[in-house]
Amino acid sequence: MAEGFDIDHLAKLARLSLTAEEKALYASQLNQILGHFQALADADLPATIDDARVVDESALRSDEPGPVLGAEAVTRIAPASRDGQISVPRVVDDES
Amino acid sequence: MADALHTLSAAELGRRLAAGTLTSRALCEALIVRYQAVNEKVGAFTHLDHVDVLAQADASDARRKAGQGRGPLEGIPVAIKDNIAVKGQPLTCSSKMLAPLVSPYDSHVAERLRAAGAILYGRLNMDEFAMGSSTENSAVRKTFNPWDLARIPGGSSGGSAAALAAGLVPLSLGSDTGGSIRQPASHCGVVGLKPSYGLISRFGLVAFASSLDQIGPMARSIEDCELLLNALASADARDMTCFGPSDRTLTPAGEAKQLRIGIPKGFLGKGVAPEVAAAVNAAVEFYRAQGCAISEVELPSADLAVPTYYVVATAEASSNLGRYDGVRYGHRSASAGTPVEMMTASRSEGFGPEVKRRILLGTFVLSAGYADAYYVRALRARAKIRAEYLAALAGVDVLLTPTVPTPAFKVGEKASDPLQLYLEDIFTIPANLAGLPAISVPCGKSGHLPVGFHLVGAPLSEAKLLAAGRLFEAAHGFAHQQAAL
Repeated sequence: MAEGFDIDHLAKLARLSLTAEEKALYASQLNQILGHFQALADADLPATIDDARVVDESALRSDEPGPVLGAEAVTRIAPASRDGQISVPRVVDDES
Repeated sequence: MADALHTLSAAELGRRLAAGTLTSRALCEALIVRYQAVNEKVGAFTHLDHVDVLAQADASDARRKAGQGRGPLEGIPVAIKDNIAVKGQPLTCSSKMLAPLVSPYDSHVAERLRAAGAILYGRLNMDEFAMGSSTENSAVRKTFNPWDLARIPGGSSGGSAAALAAGLVPLSLGSDTGGSIRQPASHCGVVGLKPSYGLISRFGLVAFASSLDQIGPMARSIEDCELLLNALASADARDMTCFGPSDRTLTPAGEAKQLRIGIPKGFLGKGVAPEVAAAVNAAVEFYRAQGCAISEVELPSADLAVPTYYVVATAEASSNLGRYDGVRYGHRSASAGTPVEMMTASRSEGFGPEVKRRILLGTFVLSAGYADAYYVRALRARAKIRAEYLAALAGVDVLLTPTVPTPAFKVGEKASDPLQLYLEDIFTIPANLAGLPAISVPCGKSGHLPVGFHLVGAPLSEAKLLAAGRLFEAAHGFAHQQAAL
């Protein structure tokens, strides 16, 4: 059950950049932790997950506009902003 | 004032404030003096704005003078774990990822506290993003156990528990995903309650694992814990799982001496330190002598709780923490190239080792080819554990176990062994998996270190837990205890 994970692939999926030392450490620790999860593979479990929910229902709000943070409050906490909008690195290439 | 104000309970402080023999300003000034004397040693707080605190205190005193007091928490300071939003105060989750963030809005619990007249008193240290059991994972500072400064206070709400035990504040808020209120409460000799899932709104709580997270009250006595719980519990449409209290949740539970108490078979066996087992057994005998019906109950899937929790919690965390991308708020790497490079660099620089470990683990258990073997099986195990707990609680009112198998360990002792740290939560995790209310009540010492017992009840049976705790507390000397510093 605990076989086969690829730390490079996981790091890519998780958008994390790891050093060689970190990769070795996390791979070793995750293997140990996943070994502990073997109990789940061996257990006799119910077929359904319905009873895993701890509340029977969720209350959906009515789909109506409500109070929101304004642009000034949002851009104040953003790492970079310009003209009332959040700045990010260019996401599209120049026209080619 | 004959008594040092930092030693008094919130209830007693409230009585003095109501009687006009104390002002909120005098109380806050005394606590700020205590903070200046003690916080550097204990490290419970990461932020305290004296000017803001005294302004809040003056406003409270003015309300009271005008006959507009808002109830028993009027003028009482409540310190808040740094993953719960308070408008205008830092909200960092003790992480470099959020280090510069000041919250632009109030959480639901902050709104409730303001409406109750409480003073929103400073930010408390925690394991980064609430991931840990020792507060050693804070990127800001270490917090030490006030009863032994070489030891951990527990976690992740370590600052919340240590602040109480050090007399820094009479009330605090924690959050609990797998034991993060109850485990540090046990280690620091204070009361900590994880409410039923859905009793207290998480609006404004930074999400870790949303099917498990709850905000809860922490205090030095059952009475104070109840005072804070009553102020917090209410329905809130902004948290779609929050329904608030039922008619019976917060009302006195009747005669505590008639409670039926279940002792899970085998829970006092392997892994439990002898002094912890002795203190918990003494509590069981106390309840028996009071007339409570004690019986043994079976929870055959209890051994599945830790692996189930660490699959579910890390899966949800890997999803919830996907929002930290360096775009809208939080840390953005200066080495930004493309958007993906910026996100990857920001996350790698901002998150600490335990958060990265859990994101990787959660990413793995949700990944193609493994989700059925891990995540779906964990949900099936969760269903089984929940069913067993609900069945056991159909025959008894509460389940009693130790809160933690051993007393607080030394700083650094388990830092390199994450699995050993995960096992700290073995008794507390099932209540989160099953959505049940649970409380840690101080019940003795192992040498100089506090020990707590743990009560779990059926959904929305908080009043029974508090009644049982009150009965024990009234006959023992553990309420209001503070470490000598």
